[in-house]
Amino acid sequence: MRLELDYAITPRHSWSLEAHGIFETGIHLVSGDVGSGKSTLALMMAGLHAPTSGAVIREGIGSMLVSFQFPEFHVTGLSVAEECASWGFEPETVIRQAGIDVLPEIPVLSLSRGELKRLHLACILSRECDLLLLDEPFSSLDCPAKEEVCRQISRRSGGITVIFTHEQTIFPEIDHLWEISGGNLVDCGRMPDALLHWKHAPPLVRLLIEKGRMPVSLTPEGLQEAACRTRD
Amino acid sequence: MQDPRLRLACALLLSLAAFASIAGAGAVFLWWLVFTVRQKSIRHGRAIAAAFLLFVLIAVVMIYSGSDGLSYLVRMTALLLVGAWVYADTRPGDFLATGVWLGGRNTGFELGMTAEMAMGMAEGLFDDFSRIRIATVQKGVVWGPRSLLPAGRVLVRDALRRADETAEILAVRGYRGGGTVCTSFVALFPEIIAALCAVAACMVAIFPRW
Repeated sequence: MRLELDYAITPRHSWSLEAHGIFETGIHLVSGDVGSGKSTLALMMAGLHAPTSGAVIREGIGSMLVSFQFPEFHVTGLSVAEECASWGFEPETVIRQAGIDVLPEIPVLSLSRGELKRLHLACILSRECDLLLLDEPFSSLDCPAKEEVCRQISRRSGGITVIFTHEQTIFPEIDHLWEISGGNLVDCGRMPDALLHWKHAPPLVRLLIEKGRMPVSLTPEGLQEAACRTRD
Repeated sequence: MQDPRLRLACALLLSLAAFASIAGAGAVFLWWLVFTVRQKSIRHGRAIAAAFLLFVLIAVVMIYSGSDGLSYLVRMTALLLVGAWVYADTRPGDFLATGVWLGGRNTGFELGMTAEMAMGMAEGLFDDFSRIRIATVQKGVVWGPRSLLPAGRVLVRDALRRADETAEILAVRGYRGGGTVCTSFVALFPEIIAALCAVAACMVAIFPRW
């Protein structure tokens, strides 16, 4: 199972995005500044935005899910219960997993953006699929919610999971790191060596590397272990 | 057409001509062929096609019920082309500038600003609608007329929320009403000719009734 971007190029307003690389089974993090083209790349990888040149090749990928940044786009039910049912889940289970305190019968659009995002992520992360594309999954979430989402993402087994984010503090357990820089998708490599090539690395990660305390993973536990490490 | 005043005048005259009679609609179609860059004058082709199909559907119903459905279809198609051209040709600031020129610093400014906001929101609606369709289909729902209701609910709610936020931002920034824009309009000779032809199209539409 793999997804290959074969010099796929797409113009976007005053600049263009060029992507080349292979996404294999595992959890991938695509990092980039706001407006760098992450959402465009996600749509291109999903086959919802055709590149003007190059190709997007999917091998062995039978099912795919895309999570958009704004959870409202996914809403089809009137109530929380209807929305959970539209994903094929029992509302109580999803509400518990999302960690929100709401009644199933209340209108789903009466939830705050953060609550709706948690509900949506709980639904989409409970679905099995070969390719899962998460566009800014951490937006609108507070730190505890981000950590919970990271735990759920890290638990995914099998399939290709790609996270597109400008998040700089809380990350799940990832296998492969990419970044969008200067209109190009740059393959930083597999973790943890990828951190050495990550130009837009968070300040804490940069500091740890400078101090010779290379984190093994980007999870809060991984960063804490590196920070507290007394000897290598 | 770069002069928004002439564009607005043309749009009003052509709409009147298209609505008035089939002859007027024909004249509007000719005007559209001659004075617009046809490929560029139709953005969001799918939305235009959907609107056209809706007109066809209504026309068929009218024909079966004994009304002049063909006339309706021709006139509405001409109106659709005019609307698509105005939408594609409009640049940010055009409505505001025209509003102030036409209606002054108070009413004109506010009408222009409202039109600007509506145009800005309309542009975003196409992208939002496309994402909602994708999100709905991936739940295993077959996209059809029944899907339009939840999609419309989300779009309307989002539009109202954005309008509310914009109003709050304007109030926080001290906006109390009215304003001015200093714009210099440049009417090129071909645009004046196009506007005169729009007047002619309007005359063609009205003359048979005399």
